[in-house]
Amino acid sequence: MADLIDSNPYLLLMLQHFNIDFRVSDHTVLQLCNRYDVSEQLFISIANLYNGSGSREEQPFTRKDLLQVIDFLKNSHNYYRFDKYPQISSYIRQLQENHPEKELKLLEKFFNEYFMEVREHLDYEDEVAFPYFITLLGDGKTGNDGEAYSSKEYSEHHTDIELKLKDLKNLLLKYVKIEGDPDLRRKLFMSLYELEFDLYIHSLIEEAILIPSGVDIEREQNG
Amino acid sequence: MDKSTLHIAILEYSKIIYEGIQAILYQSDTDCRIYKLETLDGLTGLLESNPVDVLIANSIHFVNREKEVKKIKKSYPSLSVAGIEFGMMHKPSMLTDITFTLYDSPEHIVHLLSKLDKKNHSQPNEKEGEENLTKREVEVLTGLVSGMLNKEIADALNISIHTVVRHRKNIAVKTGIRSQSGLTIYAISKRIISIEDI
Repeated sequence: MADLIDSNPYLLLMLQHFNIDFRVSDHTVLQLCNRYDVSEQLFISIANLYNGSGSREEQPFTRKDLLQVIDFLKNSHNYYRFDKYPQISSYIRQLQENHPEKELKLLEKFFNEYFMEVREHLDYEDEVAFPYFITLLGDGKTGNDGEAYSSKEYSEHHTDIELKLKDLKNLLLKYVKIEGDPDLRRKLFMSLYELEFDLYIHSLIEEAILIPSGVDIEREQNG
Repeated sequence: MDKSTLHIAILEYSKIIYEGIQAILYQSDTDCRIYKLETLDGLTGLLESNPVDVLIANSIHFVNREKEVKKIKKSYPSLSVAGIEFGMMHKPSMLTDITFTLYDSPEHIVHLLSKLDKKNHSQPNEKEGEENLTKREVEVLTGLVSGMLNKEIADALNISIHTVVRHRKNIAVKTGIRSQSGLTIYAISKRIISIEDI
């Protein structure tokens, strides 16, 4: 596992989302998975996404795997909520304090509004979507009467929070003039790119693993 | 398909002239593929199925059909038009990018065509890095960031809603900014609106 991290340090993020400690010693992937009770197949599927070689073929994941996927996604929500976004927010704040131009005030406002939307989206997933999946995976009865919530609805609600992030990046790369401050601006960029990458993987996991599996279980139940 | 191959359509009734141009091109170093066209309508069909870089045409085909030619040029911006002039004297035409006469040397004709080729290769690169908005797009953007609805913008500019939507799409593609609040910051950075306007 240490070799894998050497070749792609972003896998550290994945370990953290899986609640696996970074001190992986000389464990192989299989040993590590056994130790943390994570399915090896799931671990490899997600690691492949981080390595940019996600296979589109559908893997039959067990219910236990899928519950772990939900834990994984919840952990990544916490990473966005309590680590990455606040970090970006503090960089932008600092930038705004160093450069009193009004444009930067607007940029900060833009980011704050965006952050609020992101939090709403994360809350929605934590409070509505994930509990639905957990119930679906548990006893199978979702307790829906009539107007059923479904994986399909989830996939439709699944808004694109990556879009405004791209806007922010483009504004900083192409348009908003800021003199000097290269260290701070570089740190901001690196954070934005890190966030963008993890968000991208996050939505891949939802789209390639969680939603198709949910749809399958629903079909089983209804058919 | 090899990108360096020049796709040339020749629109010319005269077999002598068509084959003459074809021979000049084939005998030069130009890596090209040549299509023969009998009518202007044939060009539209050809463009739909093949990438055509250069149209070499007897200008007589354009008489009274200027509008159609302009429309084709607009739909296929990478298409260059070379006009064949029959006399020693020729009047410059808005429809052609270059012209040559039947009395020009083969070298001169090949040279002119190769210049067009270069122009086509540099064009996409220039465009990629360029987010310059057209006057209309700036007008739509101004309306947009001051909070106007599509319909209000359409009414104010006397264009259809459909056209407003198309402009908005182009603005997003050119600037790389999709959200309205992001576009507001863009417009201020570019001094399209001032901060007091919002």
